[in-house]
Amino acid sequence: MADIASFNALQLDAIREVGNIGTGNAATALSGLLSRMINMNVPQTELVSIYELGQHYGDPMQVVGAVFVRSLGGFHCSLIFIQNEEDANLMVELLLKQQFGSQIPIEELPQDMIDSALSEVGNIVLSSFLNAINLLIGTQHQISVPGVAHDMLSSILDVVASIYGQMGETALLVNTELSVEGLEEGRKISGHIILIPDPDALDLLLRKLKVM
Amino acid sequence: MAEPSIVLGMADLYVARAPVKLITLGLGSCIGLVVFDPLAKIAGMAHIMLPDSRGLKGSEKVGKFADTAVPAIIDEMLKQGANRSRIKAKIAGGAQMFALPGSSPEFLTVGAKNVRETTVRLARLGIALVASDTGGNKGRTIEFSTSNWMLKIKTLGKGINEI
Repeated sequence: MADIASFNALQLDAIREVGNIGTGNAATALSGLLSRMINMNVPQTELVSIYELGQHYGDPMQVVGAVFVRSLGGFHCSLIFIQNEEDANLMVELLLKQQFGSQIPIEELPQDMIDSALSEVGNIVLSSFLNAINLLIGTQHQISVPGVAHDMLSSILDVVASIYGQMGETALLVNTELSVEGLEEGRKISGHIILIPDPDALDLLLRKLKVM
Repeated sequence: MAEPSIVLGMADLYVARAPVKLITLGLGSCIGLVVFDPLAKIAGMAHIMLPDSRGLKGSEKVGKFADTAVPAIIDEMLKQGANRSRIKAKIAGGAQMFALPGSSPEFLTVGAKNVRETTVRLARLGIALVASDTGGNKGRTIEFSTSNWMLKIKTLGKGINEI
């Protein structure tokens, strides 16, 4: 298996490009779902110490809403769509308004319905992200049912630590941010996509991209 | 006398004399292990990530794995003057943050394995596990104070539990 810490700039760049293609597709899908413009930033490939994951995305104690899916196809990876709790709630409100004309404020919705809407958003974003990658490298696309959690950021990121912790002390992550534009009162909703390739999937990815 | 607070990061292991407050923020599948000897006034905490160090090279932090953290923290307690027969342990954490319908990949259920391995390792060394708050699907923030030897556990949406 490739030693993550020894990846060269070309290889990290190739992985980032994969993130770029995934993000473009995810942004298009989210835009269709919400009928809004979606802004995306340039994805980054990062090597992060597993001991510092908790702080890597901001205050480890902040409450976030997160959707997790597992790729069950040829490219083995996990994907997380993660948002501040406030952004997640705004996203759910917007989705329900857009799709069903709902005017019900989020505080009055049952938690089940919020989670279900959130997992739908996460599912569409992550599934389109992964689909673009599978098309690019020619692997079969299959994805798990999404899992949802609302909790402290650092608790959620334990999942990443336990994937990479079994192999060493460094995690390779592809990070990207999407934000919804055109909301009233200058509001902004953003969310992070984190792609966590299984350590053994990186070889496959680099081979398919012809940089190994 | 004010208690100095020590915040442990992932895979950290720390033993200190009272007064001290030992803190770990946002445990998910990880384990917060507390060991203490009230008579010798010594307490320790470890933030354990994974059950088993098998197959990994020896350069890693000992606090990372249950099988290496438990003997290491007991050794350190003894070195600082604790009496083995008086050392007691409490644990918190080991949640499963995401559940996928059907079969979940192995790393999602690592919390339960962390609990099991930590419990087994403590028993093997004859250390009494006197209290635990483990499992479930919520993260925990924990604080252990040598003022009352209690472990305070904060869980989102459930408030505070003291064990």
